[in-house]
Amino acid sequence: MGQWAAAVRVLAAMLPSLLLALWGWLLLWSGWSGRLSLLLREAFHPLVSLAGALLLLLAVLWWLPLGRRRPPALRLRASGAVPWHWVLSAGAAAAVLAFPPAPSFSDLAATRPTALPDGPVLIFHLPPEQRSLTEWVRLLRSQPDPALHDGAPVRISGFVLERSGQPPQLARLLVRCCLADATPAGLDVAWPGGVAPAVNQWLEIDGTMTVKSVAGRQRPVVVPERITPIPRPERPLEP
Amino acid sequence: MAPLSTAWAIFQGLLLEALPFLLLGVAISALARWLLPQTGWIRLLPRQPLLAPVVGALMGFALPACECGNVPIARRLIASGAPLGTGFGFLFAAPVLNPIVIASTWAAFPDQPWLLIARPCGAFLIALALTFVLRPVPEHALLTDALLEERRLSQPLAQVGLLERRSGLLGASAIEAPLPAPAPARLAPADLLAHSSREFLDLLSLLVVGCAIAASVQTFLPRSWLLAVGEAPTLSILALMLMAVVISVCSSVDAFLALGFAAQVTPGALLAFLLLGPVVDLKLAGLFTVVLKPRAIAITAVAAAMVVLLMGQWVNGLLL
Repeated sequence: MGQWAAAVRVLAAMLPSLLLALWGWLLLWSGWSGRLSLLLREAFHPLVSLAGALLLLLAVLWWLPLGRRRPPALRLRASGAVPWHWVLSAGAAAAVLAFPPAPSFSDLAATRPTALPDGPVLIFHLPPEQRSLTEWVRLLRSQPDPALHDGAPVRISGFVLERSGQPPQLARLLVRCCLADATPAGLDVAWPGGVAPAVNQWLEIDGTMTVKSVAGRQRPVVVPERITPIPRPERPLEP
Repeated sequence: MAPLSTAWAIFQGLLLEALPFLLLGVAISALARWLLPQTGWIRLLPRQPLLAPVVGALMGFALPACECGNVPIARRLIASGAPLGTGFGFLFAAPVLNPIVIASTWAAFPDQPWLLIARPCGAFLIALALTFVLRPVPEHALLTDALLEERRLSQPLAQVGLLERRSGLLGASAIEAPLPAPAPARLAPADLLAHSSREFLDLLSLLVVGCAIAASVQTFLPRSWLLAVGEAPTLSILALMLMAVVISVCSSVDAFLALGFAAQVTPGALLAFLLLGPVVDLKLAGLFTVVLKPRAIAITAVAAAMVVLLMGQWVNGLLL
């Protein structure tokens, strides 16, 4: 019993350093593994990695004598009591490491508003076939007359989004910060045979922008000439 | 399973995005503690009821952090013996009254200059109002026991007796180990590291809980319900206030999020979203428990909501 108690005391003394290292590793690994691309806007990725590196550094500093004092790890009052909330956070970190995110983009988009944040103006000067799906959506919202783009070539990629009461669209998710504020940008597609592929399936579509009358209104619709299933891109979120 | 997977992904997104800002806040708090001994500048802070929260609110410009990061800084201020008004002024206003948040608001709404003025002014007024609401409540009913003990160690004996400090023979607790003697003017690096690490880990645990609640509510309570409340001036304000509480995004980036639905809501609702989130949200509910007791948190939330609702109504009356 005495040996076990001693082991628990040592573990309790080491716990802060181990937890800092665990969280630091989690942040660094999230950056290296590409997981952040699925969760955060790209501008925040370096910040997360930097925070991870700092946490690892702090974990190492715990074992170094700072100044003329003993290192913090050796001066802990090792009573053996481990704060339960630290254990909870360790469990959360382990779970995040063990279970990667696998969100349903369609579920995520289904409950979001459709208003888009403004994008760079320069994209409007791109040739039609070089515009991304998001750039097409922004362009069509800024120039509401779809006839202006009738017949333009289209080469876009996205996932199949189905929202209640609306026809299935090809869509991308836009984030300003993280998945919590993701906003869908979708385009109507004239699916061959009237049947859309499975929800959340990623597709690349080569086709033409046309104008169709939907519920008495002229709407831009992509008529596909070629539909290619593709894997989810490495960076599925757009700013 | 799909909604659960989506909630899990949102949880990870919120947590990984907020964690660097939390670390930044703890780092600024540690730096302030190390560079500025508590016997110095803290004693110079004004204790006058109006001036104290004003100074606290303006300190956000010197210590920029979002609401995740400013909780440890505010806690350090209060623990070091700063006037409560200053600590609360900082706690409630600094998440908005800082250059990073003002810059992000300008970046998101360059065509709405009124928002650039209304947001900081509103945050300032909310901080003043909350400080005055909490002012009559005694410290022991407001602050957590741990913070109260730290604070009393930092206060001069003229204000706090040995019994209240519990640091002498008279006040020592029979159950807990005697508290250490008052900290020296400047901490050793090893002590600073140990204290800051524990503070970070404590706050991190609360952040984990807050992010889990926010992700669950956001996934299982459709946002369209909130937006479908209507375009009526009052209802839209209430809807956006509820959304701010639920989605719990950091104040440094919430203006970009607001941009996503700015066209669909009234100006008062937009301002309400940008004002309430930095003071009251599900993620903060956990973090605030290291500073305030549950009843004080509830009073803060209700008072902040009422002030924000009034401001939203006033703006709608002016602009609609």
